[in-house]
Amino acid sequence: MSVTTNNSIKSTIAMAALHSVIDPEIGLNVADLGLIYNLDFDEAGKKITTTMTLTTQFCPMGESIVDGVTQAMQQTFPDDTIQVDLIFDPPWSYDLISEEGREFLNR
Amino acid sequence: MLGASLGTDPIKTTSYKVVLPFYTYAALAFLAATLLLLFSAPAFGRHYFHPHVLAVTHTMALGWGTMVILGASHQLVPVLIEGKLYSNTLAYISFALAAVGIPLLVYAFYTFNMNWMARRGGELVIDAVVIYLINLGISMAKSKSENVHAVFVFTAGLWLLITTIVGLLLVYNFSMPMFAEDSLHYLSLHAHMGIIGWFLLLIIGVGSRLIPMFLISKYTNSKLLWWVYAMINTGLVGFVFMFVYSPPTYFYLLPVAAISAALLLFGNYCRMAYRQRLRKKVDEQVKISVLSVMMMALPVILLIIIIISLWAIGENTRLVLAYGFTIFFGWITAIILGMTFKTLPFIIWNKIYHKKAGLGKTPNPKDLFSNTVFVRMAVFYLSGFVLFIAGILSSMVVVLQIGALVLLLAAGLYNFNVLKLLLHKPVIQ
Repeated sequence: MSVTTNNSIKSTIAMAALHSVIDPEIGLNVADLGLIYNLDFDEAGKKITTTMTLTTQFCPMGESIVDGVTQAMQQTFPDDTIQVDLIFDPPWSYDLISEEGREFLNR
Repeated sequence: MLGASLGTDPIKTTSYKVVLPFYTYAALAFLAATLLLLFSAPAFGRHYFHPHVLAVTHTMALGWGTMVILGASHQLVPVLIEGKLYSNTLAYISFALAAVGIPLLVYAFYTFNMNWMARRGGELVIDAVVIYLINLGISMAKSKSENVHAVFVFTAGLWLLITTIVGLLLVYNFSMPMFAEDSLHYLSLHAHMGIIGWFLLLIIGVGSRLIPMFLISKYTNSKLLWWVYAMINTGLVGFVFMFVYSPPTYFYLLPVAAISAALLLFGNYCRMAYRQRLRKKVDEQVKISVLSVMMMALPVILLIIIIISLWAIGENTRLVLAYGFTIFFGWITAIILGMTFKTLPFIIWNKIYHKKAGLGKTPNPKDLFSNTVFVRMAVFYLSGFVLFIAGILSSMVVVLQIGALVLLLAAGLYNFNVLKLLLHKPVIQ
């Protein structure tokens, strides 16, 4: 599943920033891991909503990963309000890992 | 403007403050057990019903194995049930009761004083288990998700409770006889309820979830795990009935066959998870955990030999000692040595870096301990294990002492790495 968005340019910038947020257990970033589902840019309200998931609910590293996403988005878009929505439907699956992610895991 | 608008409630996991005391206590208990092993090495050349052997066994079973598993399960149960742990306070109380009860019990065994100290120690351990089960039961009842892994863990907790109650009754039986036979007669009943009911069920229940997770494997097979669950419990209940009704010795091969079949199925589950893994490189911590799955075969083989020799020529105490040793210092210790460094670094990382994620480059959790020390620990551990087994089988005290010394070194290195983790200071580039 690729990331859905209403602003492809800003989404590219956001995804580049999210490449720096690593899932500490797997060692792979949240973008290539396929944890990001949607990026919504509300230009008028200056608000960005990131819809994401975790590899498993109540993942011991879940809070850190959500905090990491929030911090990375805020650093990239300092003038916007950052909102992170966590959903588990659809659940994350291994099929969501990108080609780059799979190559990383194969090393 | 910063902050996730979503409440963190659905992802809030058990606090590190709950888990760390269990890990710290277990590490010290492992050190104490190997120290006791060194000073009590000659006892392992005699009968297994020896005060020092009982003291070492209970330090390993309760102080080391049970404490680290209780700690880890407080952290992992929320992952298994997809819900929060009901109460941190109950977890603290459970820890405090066990932490006081275990040394009382061990000291009483070591000095073979089966009066108030052993009784209070045993009672405190039972109280700790009851509180753990209440916490676990309410957490599961409040969770929407029911799965085979959680059922394994809860059933294991029930077997632990039965084991500790039987253990306490055996302690009372020393001074106020309440059973037809002396306590030695019931030792294998008590031991197997603990080994199979508590350790095996729990390790398989948690391991079947964690091994695919750590390998990043797509493999899952709940149906197979339900079969494993049924075979282990049927085998164990069958063993209890046989113990009570005393059929001919070879009948005991039936529960052994059921549990061996369950182990083979679980071994195959691990093999399939390994084959379907996305992460090709397997780290040392997972390797030693996989090794522990293979080490399960050793006590099974010894048990079959014990039953056959019991039937043909009578009891061989050396084999019984070797059997117990391969369980507590072999299989259980190997899986804990590996899994400690797959869980504790993440707990510490979460504690120190969770508010710093995304603000700069943080160290990887696996860099918070020394891998070189880990590898040396693993080498010492395996060498000490093999030497001590050789010492038991040959009844050579010097070999037992060398084996115990090497195991003590392994425990020292384990404690070094645990301490390094606990004392880690934040580093951000």
